[in-house]
Amino acid sequence: MTELLKANIWADVTFYRRSKLLLAFMLVFLLLTALQSLPPLFMDSGVQSFNALQQIVADLNFFLLILAGGMGLLVISSHLRNRSLKMVFTKPCPPEVWLLSAYLSAAAMSLFLNLVVLGSGVLLSVLWRVPVRMGLVFVSAETFVVSLGLIGYLMLLATVMHPALAAIVAVIFNADLFYQFDVWTKAAIRSGNSSMALRMVERLFQGLYILLPMVYPFDKQTENIHTSLRVMRGEWKYLLFSLGYTLALSAFCYCVSLFALKRKNHI
Amino acid sequence: MIVAEDVGVHFRTGLFGHRVRALDGLTLEVRDGDFFALVGQNGAGKSTAMYCFLGLLRPTSGKVQLMGQSPELGARLYKNVAYLPEEPHYHLYLTVEEATRYYSSLYGKRVSDKAINDSLERLGLAQFKKLPLSKCSKGMKQKVGIAQCLIHEPQVLFLDEPTRGLDPLIVREFRETLREIHKRGATIVMNSHVLSEVEMLANRVAIIDRGKVVVQDELHNLLTLNQELYRIVFEENGVVPDYLTAVERSGHLVRALLPKARLCDFLEQVRTSGMSLHECSLKKTSLEESFFNLVKGETTLPENGAREVGDREIGVS
Repeated sequence: MTELLKANIWADVTFYRRSKLLLAFMLVFLLLTALQSLPPLFMDSGVQSFNALQQIVADLNFFLLILAGGMGLLVISSHLRNRSLKMVFTKPCPPEVWLLSAYLSAAAMSLFLNLVVLGSGVLLSVLWRVPVRMGLVFVSAETFVVSLGLIGYLMLLATVMHPALAAIVAVIFNADLFYQFDVWTKAAIRSGNSSMALRMVERLFQGLYILLPMVYPFDKQTENIHTSLRVMRGEWKYLLFSLGYTLALSAFCYCVSLFALKRKNHI
Repeated sequence: MIVAEDVGVHFRTGLFGHRVRALDGLTLEVRDGDFFALVGQNGAGKSTAMYCFLGLLRPTSGKVQLMGQSPELGARLYKNVAYLPEEPHYHLYLTVEEATRYYSSLYGKRVSDKAINDSLERLGLAQFKKLPLSKCSKGMKQKVGIAQCLIHEPQVLFLDEPTRGLDPLIVREFRETLREIHKRGATIVMNSHVLSEVEMLANRVAIIDRGKVVVQDELHNLLTLNQELYRIVFEENGVVPDYLTAVERSGHLVRALLPKARLCDFLEQVRTSGMSLHECSLKKTSLEESFFNLVKGETTLPENGAREVGDREIGVS
């Protein structure tokens, strides 16, 4: 089991390292971040430097979330579309192990990149003489935790549908969209339009909002940390709550993906 | 070893889910230690049958058993199984060496560098071991497939068009290796269009046509299948029976083909006339001829017979 996990994780990490798509995405984003970090070099104000740092950290973490989701999507869709899984499943390596390895490898890559971003944040703080705040650690840890859920969710989507469709579902048809729709329909009902159709649509949007995974389940509670990069003592618990949510989501996505993977014909 | 009972596979294609039958009641048995060849035209269902044996494709109907178990993806029974796919659907981002190591390590055992290097050396891949598979030719990918197949000395080998795209030298060496593995007691199931190769290697053959096994039997039975003719050589003694065909004379010797039904008459004539009979043998055909006759329906098979030819119970499944 350990040998199998190691072999698969190694192969998947090699896949990420050599994926031109991921590499191009990373380079573009790093270039943009580098350009963004130029102006503060010519600023004397500590506030301006902090604002720039906060913005760069926010951008990089957002980028890491997209990259983590992308890794989850690509690792599944690429192997399914290349039909290379027939080489794996005709050996004593069950889909359970392969899928777990894919998840763990994406998680490991995400952890590594989060550490790099955290290191960059600390380095920029030192360079720009901005106090190093614990918020940097919190934001990085939260991004990593959230990315675990995203990896699982995108892996599930990639298993059951075409990767392009999976990306559209993840980016557009997500919980936020249906939350907005739910708010609009509720507002329409409150303003007097209480037709049966509108009530049904409202229920549908509400159901979809509840069903679809949230990216930041405790975003309201941690909003201040992202802007101030300060963490109060009682706020660390949200990290644990997020971890609990994301692990439950990942476990659910893993089980559904596994079921779908086993149902597929790998020919 | 491998039993397929009345296996049917239907695919749905197109917008309206039109059903295409890939296998239609395929029934066959591969015995322990067989070198079993599946032959048939393109689209006959050979690869589909192999996918079913390996658990990569779940049959729509019927039952498949591999080593007494229903084949499941990545099951423990694959510890002794190796598979060489027809198309090089490999992990193309890996190099030749990495891919060989990765596929070998999926058996859950550590593979030494020496074993990997020896295997690559043997197949002439040593100088290309750092080359990504995406940049390899089809033949090189096929060699990687062979390397990963042979590294663990499997008990059961599934080979789907194994020599396709290989250079003649490697083909020869590969055939020798297969013979060695078979001699060691391994069971080999091979799909091939190259009937001469099947004739060289296999001991049992199943001919598949439109998703059904037309016939399965020992190779030597298939080579004499439906042969109604004997090849005879005798010294002419004035009379050449009129039921002989393809008569060729060279000096006193006559070569001809004798219908099986007239064998007794001819032998009686030899006895009474004092003719000198030099040779009388059942006319052998190539597997290609047998295949052609069976698939084109030029060989008549009893309607209610079983599939085994060896028992003289030839039949259409």
